[in-house]
Amino acid sequence: MNMTTTNTKGNPDISVAAITRRGWREISPAVFAVVGTLILWELAVKWLKVPEIIIAAPSSIGHSLVHNAKLLADSSGVTLAIIVYGFALSVVLGIVLALLLVRFPTASRAVYPLVVLFQTVPKVALAPIFVIWFGYDLSPKILLIIVISFFPISLNMIAGLRSVDPNLLLLMRSIGCSKTETLLRVMVPSALPSLFAGLKIGVTFSVIGAIVAEFSGANRGLGYLIQFASSQLDTPLVFASLVVVSAMGVALFYAVALLEHFIIPWASSSEI
Amino acid sequence: MPSASITLSSTPAAARHSDFPLIEASNVTVGFTTGSWLRPIYQEVLSNVSLTVRKGRFVTLLGPSGCGKSTLLKTLGGLVAPSGGSIMINSQPVSHALEDHEIGLVFQDAALLPWKSSLANAAFLCQLVRDRHTTQSALQRGREMLSLVGLSGSENKLPNQLSGGMRQRVSIARALALDPEILLMDEPFGALDAITRDQLNFALLDIWSQTQKTVIFVTHSISEALLLSDEIHVMGVKPGRIIESIEVDLPRPRTMETLEEARFKSYERELRKLLMTGHGE
Repeated sequence: MNMTTTNTKGNPDISVAAITRRGWREISPAVFAVVGTLILWELAVKWLKVPEIIIAAPSSIGHSLVHNAKLLADSSGVTLAIIVYGFALSVVLGIVLALLLVRFPTASRAVYPLVVLFQTVPKVALAPIFVIWFGYDLSPKILLIIVISFFPISLNMIAGLRSVDPNLLLLMRSIGCSKTETLLRVMVPSALPSLFAGLKIGVTFSVIGAIVAEFSGANRGLGYLIQFASSQLDTPLVFASLVVVSAMGVALFYAVALLEHFIIPWASSSEI
Repeated sequence: MPSASITLSSTPAAARHSDFPLIEASNVTVGFTTGSWLRPIYQEVLSNVSLTVRKGRFVTLLGPSGCGKSTLLKTLGGLVAPSGGSIMINSQPVSHALEDHEIGLVFQDAALLPWKSSLANAAFLCQLVRDRHTTQSALQRGREMLSLVGLSGSENKLPNQLSGGMRQRVSIARALALDPEILLMDEPFGALDAITRDQLNFALLDIWSQTQKTVIFVTHSISEALLLSDEIHVMGVKPGRIIESIEVDLPRPRTMETLEEARFKSYERELRKLLMTGHGE
């Protein structure tokens, strides 16, 4: 039940107290679930006497987070930078490819099978090859992020472009609009909700891509830190890094959702 | 062609109901190839349709689903190429009419752009046809058309803030904005509830009498066809064809009372009988 508090006139109550009350009702289940899980976890590790090397208790992860704050922050900066570069380039590549494939159907019949074929290659396995080709700097990591995340972006964009109301295309043809103009004026805006669905998948893939790339050859970043910590059997730091990676992924996801909310407010599905 | 016309109509009142044949379709046949490329199947949707539409008339294509009435409508507007026969508009190939923006389209779903306001939707086509309109004149034209369809005051609403009937009014405003000679309407009120449908039927009659367009209207509702039309072409299936054409001799302006007239009822009976035979069952 999602009842809204109302005053005597039947209008929704928008006093601060009422908004706080509704907000709490909205988020309290999630808060209880998270806090409950953490408490269970802590107690289970304590009572079952699980060695810290295998599973770190939330308290020791918290301690590690505080203790290694500087290291984690520096590593996050490095990883966030390659995620942002890689994701931005994936978006550009994904959108351009989708536009070209939809605008030129014949070329699309030639290229599309290749794109699908490429998608079936396990791209995580490409990471070592990129290191051989490009060494330890930014380019192999950004490249890995691109090959992992451009596909869902492109695919969703293509689906969005193709799902445009056929009557709108007929309308554009009836006034003699060129194909390119129809694409830009009608098809691209229609495809934006679909594109944003792809961007949300793409941005989480970008985080995965960055960590995998740093596993394969890096001397900084969260992926490197996870590998380094596990080689030192510093399990709390591994978990602390994972917490940071997850927080980063969630933040990026909601950044995209927020962007969606502002760019396409007319699409009713754009709920944050 | 008159160039930048921002008046309601380019047709002088005297030309109304003249015998001038605006659209002449002769022996039009339309077929599509369906099936896989291994075993293509040729399917004839329209067979040997001949039809003359005089200027300023309200003409309805009435028939059951699958009789090709929508295809005929699109073919008459030059949006589907016939596989046989010819279509002339103003004694010229139909492509000329398209180039001169003489064809206005209204579909069953309003097909509005959800990110644009009512006004921007109504003015959308004008903004694309730049040789006729500046940004200002396009918006002005959009505003006039919205007021014509009874939506003054809703200029800034987005389509998802409008009811189904209002959305369809916007789409009619959009279709009229370029001042086309011919308005093609493909079951425009088919998805609306009965009350809204009646309201829009009368609104359309009103708009038609003000703008004096030539309207070709597709429907499968007998009473809607009778209420609106000057002439009704009853279509049959397998193959899609015109089985009978009827002049509707009911006085105008037509009102709610028209629906109760004895002549209306007898037309209704006649059309129902024709549709039964055309259905072939």
